[in-house]
Amino acid sequence: MPLRPKLAMLYERERNNAMLDIVTPESDAAASMWSGVVRHLHITPRAFLPMREMRELTLVAGKGIEGDRYMVGREEGFYSPKPEEGRQITLFEFETLIALKRDHDIDLGVDEHRRNVTTVGVPLTHLVGKQFWLGETLLEATRLSIPCRHIEEITGKSIFDPLINRSGLNCKILQGGIVRVGDVVRSMQ
Amino acid sequence: MMAAMTVKTVVDDIADGGAGIKVFTLVDPDRWELPPFKPGAHIDVHLANGLIRTYSLCNDPTDNKRYVLAVKREADGRGGSIYLHDEIKRGGVIGVSLPRGGVPLPSHLTGFAFIAGGIGVTPFLSVAAHLRRIGRNDFVLHVISRGPPPLADMLAPLLQSGHVVIHDTWAGPRPDIVQLVGRPLADALIACCGPVSMIDAFEQASCDWPAVHVHVERFVAPPLPVDPQARAYVLALARSGQEIAVAAGESMLLDVPASCCGGICGACKVEWLQGEPVHRDRALSPAERERSLLVCVAGSASERLVLDL
Repeated sequence: MPLRPKLAMLYERERNNAMLDIVTPESDAAASMWSGVVRHLHITPRAFLPMREMRELTLVAGKGIEGDRYMVGREEGFYSPKPEEGRQITLFEFETLIALKRDHDIDLGVDEHRRNVTTVGVPLTHLVGKQFWLGETLLEATRLSIPCRHIEEITGKSIFDPLINRSGLNCKILQGGIVRVGDVVRSMQ
Repeated sequence: MMAAMTVKTVVDDIADGGAGIKVFTLVDPDRWELPPFKPGAHIDVHLANGLIRTYSLCNDPTDNKRYVLAVKREADGRGGSIYLHDEIKRGGVIGVSLPRGGVPLPSHLTGFAFIAGGIGVTPFLSVAAHLRRIGRNDFVLHVISRGPPPLADMLAPLLQSGHVVIHDTWAGPRPDIVQLVGRPLADALIACCGPVSMIDAFEQASCDWPAVHVHVERFVAPPLPVDPQARAYVLALARSGQEIAVAAGESMLLDVPASCCGGICGACKVEWLQGEPVHRDRALSPAERERSLLVCVAGSASERLVLDL
């Protein structure tokens, strides 16, 4: 079934649920008023190489991160032969690292998930198709990231299965700028 | 073809290691850190002529911006060392695999003995550098060589510190491997790297040792996916008429774009026409599996599998 009719059906069911009368437009708006923080920033210039922790990153709208392997014009990432806008910058929840330890006893370092930005307090999986602020820069989430065997090969850790549906977020950069550790991540609402 | 991507390196230095040996130092083009390795690990070197050869890394794993390889020119070999010696120049680009393997060095053990035959000393140079750096001096490296030992410059500091015993079989008798291995110890590890005959003698001499305290350094291939049910089969491509033999447990070597390589993203979905695919993916519905499969993880239960390609 196409996504839209599925969603329409879901909303219809929600409307018919008497228990949800207590939900108002205001309360829905309040629910999307999250904000989080940039905890770590990483880049690497080529596939397979270790990610290097940075204090700040320079984001270029429509292109990527200066010095990173998926920056348009550089294209030396593992997936560069399959270009897509959402590779311009990728994000990962710090909370997932905690969950990996808690649920699977896997220690995964902030430099091992291979996404560029590690966030705290940001509901990344809710943001597909939405725009949000990362410090002074504006991003649009294109899709959830998908785990790949490549990362198991690099880390030597069995993390493919535990990372399904929480492997981060792929985004394109709508407005560039400098992103620093400690910057606020906030919704557009 | 799902071609192996490699780590791009540049030849930063080529030094003379003596006895027909060249020491190659590989670095990232931007001098970035290279993928980490364990003491005694090895890498595959992908040469431009299509050859892939495996060599031990000689340097300390904390020296993380260089891969140092010592290659002996084997005139009667299969061509890899000749190509490296004769064709590779400083500044040349070489693709290498991620490092694999390494010598296990449990911290609770109180001694380590390494036995190397000739150029087989290379993994133990990395191990020795690691042990000395962490303050472990309880090891000895026996180097058995015909004539002066290889890589004298790299061995010199270890000779000076009394960690190396050279057994020059031109100047003296061939050492008794049984004697070097000694009686089994519960708190020591012994390891060997060298010609097959030496490894055989070592394995025989160490058969009474606890298996976890014995290490033989072989250049192992990357691990294959474990599937005891996997069988070899012929993959037939209906449109192109091509037929491909697929070994048991091997993935289909097809020119199909793949992404996750784990059977969830669906990027490598193709239609199959005849045969009995073994799907192994976690993306296709039962209905989809009636017509499609994911190349990255699928196998075949039938001798022949026909794809709509």
